[in-house]
Amino acid sequence: MKRTLPSTASLFLLAMASALAIAGDAGNGYRHVEGGDFRSSVRFEETTRVVRVASFSLMARPVSNHEFAGFVARQSQWRRDRIPTVFASPGYLGHWASADAPGDGVDPDAPAVHVNWYAADAYCREQQARLPRFVEWEYAAAADATRRDARGDPRWRMRQVNDGTPHAIDAAPDTPANAYGIQGLHGAYWEWSEDYASLLGDGDRRGQQDGDSLRYCGATALAFNDPGDYGVVKRFVLLSALQPGATLGNLGFRCARSTP
Amino acid sequence: MKRLSFFLSATLALAGSLHAQSLPGDSVYHLQATTQDAGSRPVAWSSLRGQPRVVSMFYTNCHLMCPLIIENAKSVQKQLAPRERAKLGMVMVSLDPARDTPAALQEVARRHRVPEGWQFLAPAGNDVRAIASVLDVRYRFRDDGSINHTSMLVLLDADGRVRARSEVTGAAADPAFLIQVKAVLAEP
Repeated sequence: MKRTLPSTASLFLLAMASALAIAGDAGNGYRHVEGGDFRSSVRFEETTRVVRVASFSLMARPVSNHEFAGFVARQSQWRRDRIPTVFASPGYLGHWASADAPGDGVDPDAPAVHVNWYAADAYCREQQARLPRFVEWEYAAAADATRRDARGDPRWRMRQVNDGTPHAIDAAPDTPANAYGIQGLHGAYWEWSEDYASLLGDGDRRGQQDGDSLRYCGATALAFNDPGDYGVVKRFVLLSALQPGATLGNLGFRCARSTP
Repeated sequence: MKRLSFFLSATLALAGSLHAQSLPGDSVYHLQATTQDAGSRPVAWSSLRGQPRVVSMFYTNCHLMCPLIIENAKSVQKQLAPRERAKLGMVMVSLDPARDTPAALQEVARRHRVPEGWQFLAPAGNDVRAIASVLDVRYRFRDDGSINHTSMLVLLDADGRVRARSEVTGAAADPAFLIQVKAVLAEP
């Protein structure tokens, strides 16, 4: 019988080597999120309220300034002084001291902000990863420290109140990771999703005489499944209002990977 | 020393931008994306540079707006003089590359009797959103496999700058868009 072990072992070594080659990822590993059926807070015109979320993995923390500086050094077309205008807005990495470094005034471990969607997408591709879809963020963010879906708990709902601001409950440095081992999903920073541009319109405008009829093919009313979910919907609406080149001081990102 | 390092970094910057061959900063062809055409040939997104083009995004399983998008684009092309028509590329980019196989793209081209020379492109799965983003096309998959999307013709000049956009609301070309197409084609 032919032994396949050596080739398996060398494949493993290769995989290890390429994993090590992905610099800047140390200490910000991916956490497995077991998929399942999920009642999303965002309801479109579909009648089904429950969506199936496939298993995926998500970075334990948002990408930091330090990690993003490593990326900019490796792929210098993403420096703020070299990025093509088609991808950039004037604020891109504007809070960094120089084009290639955050500088002393910026916490290297804080999430990288003032990053546009294109740069976030490129960072994740370099990681052989992708940006998470919004529903994946929502699914992972439904957890608290002990439960995978804690949304029925008023204490969980309180976490949304100042979500995206320094006053967010989860912005405190000692906030425990959630049940998946993921931190900061309700912290001081919002995060890009792959499908940021999913909210097409604020209602079904077909047939109205406002000159905009048929602009959005099939786009009809967006609704909340529960008014108590407003924090999630607020985030969704914010992302949908952004142009991909836009940056915000409280908008960062983290990467995800599909589970094969 | 300072002067030397300035010289060095200027040289490096020059080397870095040489491969872009003075592509304007606002060109959509800065995007590194790959696509496949209806003949299964790979087509780099940036290789579309060099000719003005009308570009739109659609998907073959779409029965509402996409036929209108194609008819509208045909209507634009039909109203050009032969010399203009020869200069303008027509590109339909799929929002749904998982289902829009080369065979499906060929079928839709045949069904709509599109003229010779149109390109139907299916991007790599992870390049769809980025192409849609540079074209400002918004879309969302619905549970039933259909896609909500903005229906738009986008006019790109030879260097990939967005010069005009036309919202598709019917099969007839938008006269204002047509004027802009002719203007771009008249440029040297």
